[in-house]
Amino acid sequence: MLQHDVLIVGSGLAGMRAALEVSENPDLDVAVLTKVHPLRSHSGAAQGGIAASLGNSDEDSWDLHMYDTVKGGDFLVDQNAAELLTREGPENIFELEHMGCAFSRDDEGRIAQRRFGGHTAPRACYAADRTGHAVLTVLFEQLLQRGVKVYSEWYALDLIVRDNVCQGVVAYDILTGQLEPIAARAVMFGTGGYGRTFQVTTNAFASTGDGVIMAYRAGIPLEDMEFMQFHPTGLQGSGILLSEAARGEGAHLTNAEGQRFMERYAAERMELAPRDIVARAEQTEIDAGRGVTERGDSVFMDLRPIGAERIRYALPSVLHLARDFAGIDPLEEPVPIQPTAHYSMGGIPCDVNGQVRIKDQDDAPIDGFFAAGECSCVSVHGANRLGTNSLLEAVVFGRRAGRGMIEALGDLAPTMIREGDMDRAVAEVDGLLKADGSQNVGAIRKELRGMMMEKCGVFRSEGQLNEALASVKDLQGRYAKISIDDHGQTFNTDLLDAIELGHMLEVAEVIVVGAMARQESRGGHARTDFPTRDDEQWYKHTLAYRDEDGPRLTYCEVNMSPQYREAYPPEERKY
Amino acid sequence: MPEQSFIIQRYDPENDRSYEEQFSVEYEAGQTVLDCLNEIKWSQDGTLSYRMSCRHAICGSCAMKVNGKSMLACKTQVTEAASKGDPIRMAPMGNQKVLKDLVVDTTKFVAQFERAQTWLQPHEDQEPPSREYRQPVEEFDHWSHTSTCIHCGACYSDCTVAAVDEKFLGPAALAKAYRFVMDSRDTKKEQRLRELSSMEGGIWDCTRCFMCIEACPKDVLPMDAIMELRSEAIKADVANNHGSRHYKAFRGGVQKRGRLDEATLPILSAGVRPGAIPELLSYTPGAIRLLRTRKLIEAARRHGASKDGREEIQRIFEEVEGEKQHHDVDSESFAAEFDAALH
Repeated sequence: MLQHDVLIVGSGLAGMRAALEVSENPDLDVAVLTKVHPLRSHSGAAQGGIAASLGNSDEDSWDLHMYDTVKGGDFLVDQNAAELLTREGPENIFELEHMGCAFSRDDEGRIAQRRFGGHTAPRACYAADRTGHAVLTVLFEQLLQRGVKVYSEWYALDLIVRDNVCQGVVAYDILTGQLEPIAARAVMFGTGGYGRTFQVTTNAFASTGDGVIMAYRAGIPLEDMEFMQFHPTGLQGSGILLSEAARGEGAHLTNAEGQRFMERYAAERMELAPRDIVARAEQTEIDAGRGVTERGDSVFMDLRPIGAERIRYALPSVLHLARDFAGIDPLEEPVPIQPTAHYSMGGIPCDVNGQVRIKDQDDAPIDGFFAAGECSCVSVHGANRLGTNSLLEAVVFGRRAGRGMIEALGDLAPTMIREGDMDRAVAEVDGLLKADGSQNVGAIRKELRGMMMEKCGVFRSEGQLNEALASVKDLQGRYAKISIDDHGQTFNTDLLDAIELGHMLEVAEVIVVGAMARQESRGGHARTDFPTRDDEQWYKHTLAYRDEDGPRLTYCEVNMSPQYREAYPPEERKY
Repeated sequence: MPEQSFIIQRYDPENDRSYEEQFSVEYEAGQTVLDCLNEIKWSQDGTLSYRMSCRHAICGSCAMKVNGKSMLACKTQVTEAASKGDPIRMAPMGNQKVLKDLVVDTTKFVAQFERAQTWLQPHEDQEPPSREYRQPVEEFDHWSHTSTCIHCGACYSDCTVAAVDEKFLGPAALAKAYRFVMDSRDTKKEQRLRELSSMEGGIWDCTRCFMCIEACPKDVLPMDAIMELRSEAIKADVANNHGSRHYKAFRGGVQKRGRLDEATLPILSAGVRPGAIPELLSYTPGAIRLLRTRKLIEAARRHGASKDGREEIQRIFEEVEGEKQHHDVDSESFAAEFDAALH
């Protein structure tokens, strides 16, 4: 049987950074399992930067970074986590630089830093506008050098947890179609987000929430799933990301009347207000009939104020993306953009060492189970993540989870894979291969994504959410009657599409149920029927357990106990 | 909506069967070849297999052959690939084993990066600085385009050397190796150049066919990087093989005499050394034929260019050397010029 001390599922920044940390210990056997080759991971699509208060461009400090993060997250941030994120940021960046990360440079030869939304200082360290790609590449180089075992194009189907102790995973080898249990004393998920649940998204086809749903099915509650971030600048229609770095460099947002409308929503920070605020401003303009182009579903981002030379040098990807995917030359004309589902603030609840914990049950640990990156909820982003904090989170908490696992391994008993551990996965795969239903995966997925965008998007209301829930239930019913075309064993992506849809249908349900219950507007969750933040009732994290008839909600406290300074109390959020 | 037909090269591994299949798809303006493949898979034939993920040219999953040339399906507009109502022909990447339909086994391609040791090798016995290494903007600008590689394999798929030589490191791995040779944080420059120069399938095996530059969906310009590696290897005096000797003899001949010196070129390329004797002997039959037809005598008679010609050549050399000092790769304008020259 396949067996490792540590098995990491997911090969983005969090997964690879954790693997690297564990591999520093020669006595430990670590492997990475991923459904796409590590270099294809979605972390590579991050563009604008990775935050850290290096102070290369202007005065900066970790506690200013922490304050920005807490305020950006509409005060739902766990402050012990935000403190570690920001305090450990610089050393993590220097470490990446020492590994050979290809950062852009300033005139002094230091790592170049630029402005980003919601950050008061220029603290986005960048590699032109391909920062995620640069960091992903350097981490892969390090794994390659160390010869870390990678199960590339393997798909984890189940997390095996018995009596609150993790035993390993059940995985499917995409090339051969074989199901295998993989035992591991510590399992870490770095499986990313679930933006694919929405019609307009920046996310890769792979971002289907597999990891969070595996945890959910294993009995672990999911935290704050109603907080979905909509990025303000997705290309019209496709939602392909145009980096916030464009606004950091000086791009303007304008409506059909040619007005820089952000002056009415965030007079001081303008286009560099946090993403939730800018996305809502755009949606408000669009809904008021001030959208641009024939479709009226977008506003303009005008890069021309930046100047052609600087655009070519600092934003080459933005330039190429607009030209190649919208046929528009940003040097000549403004680009139609719209809010696009981008990042999931919620996920698998864990502590600052990556240890998964049940936060409403005295923080009871799931021994041997860890999480980091977008699939996790530490919660460092609260209700809304600031741009460039996600890469930092993945690296800082990936490293911390790596160390957490090394430390925990001493106390963890050998794992036990039992007969029966594979049953659910075997039944799912066999069932799908033999299914002869009349329903089609592509059609259900298309309806789900369109419906979530329309009824659970930038703005939500009770009426819309009720419809959304009914619709999800209906689609789940239809999903039970699907069939697929490909019945083969080799590289059966038809089968994977079907399994992923099953995950997305559960993700959608948890998002909708959490959003229905939360009768306030905070960060990425905006209710038209409850337009203000309500700290008295809702200053708490949501936890959703999987029950027979749907998600069951409980709540837990926000951490207000940073170690090195006072906590930042909730205040009115103005920019 | 307009309709476009596709002829897709299929392979069913479970029955070891290769065949072509035609599909027809309706598409909207702005849609890509990948959008059409998805439409086929999701509403016509779910068995069609290919890799894809980000759909905006950063993850590198969906490189495949579109009308015989390797490119990213997600970055290729339908209208760009279609011509005169002909079907668009889709096939898996070349130079790699096909696993199923448009999915190839990338193991060999990925292994080349390991062979080329494409990771930073800083000082082993020296602590790194407490903050970042300082690196001049000019240095970053000089090699940063090679760091945009997304490892899609399009260059390797179209590489004419990889087609005949399994050992060839290939354009992507070599371009990446170039970056580490030039990165001031790395301490193994000379060792890297020596190995890349002497190893089987190293820098001297490229035939400069330009296919990799054409196939690359990013700004990497792999062949350019390989040529720079050759210059660096010669500069560091670590290259002593047929390729480098040929280069030196070719260049030296032209610089000295103002024209290609065909009489001495094979001898200098083989090298003035005992080990070269078998190679030199192997030229004898050809040399005798040349003597018989008086071609060798002709070559010797035209031994040098006129004085004016030599001066002109000398001037060109000086100018090029001077330009090299200020050589920053402007990949965008290079690519534009290259496209213009091709079409």
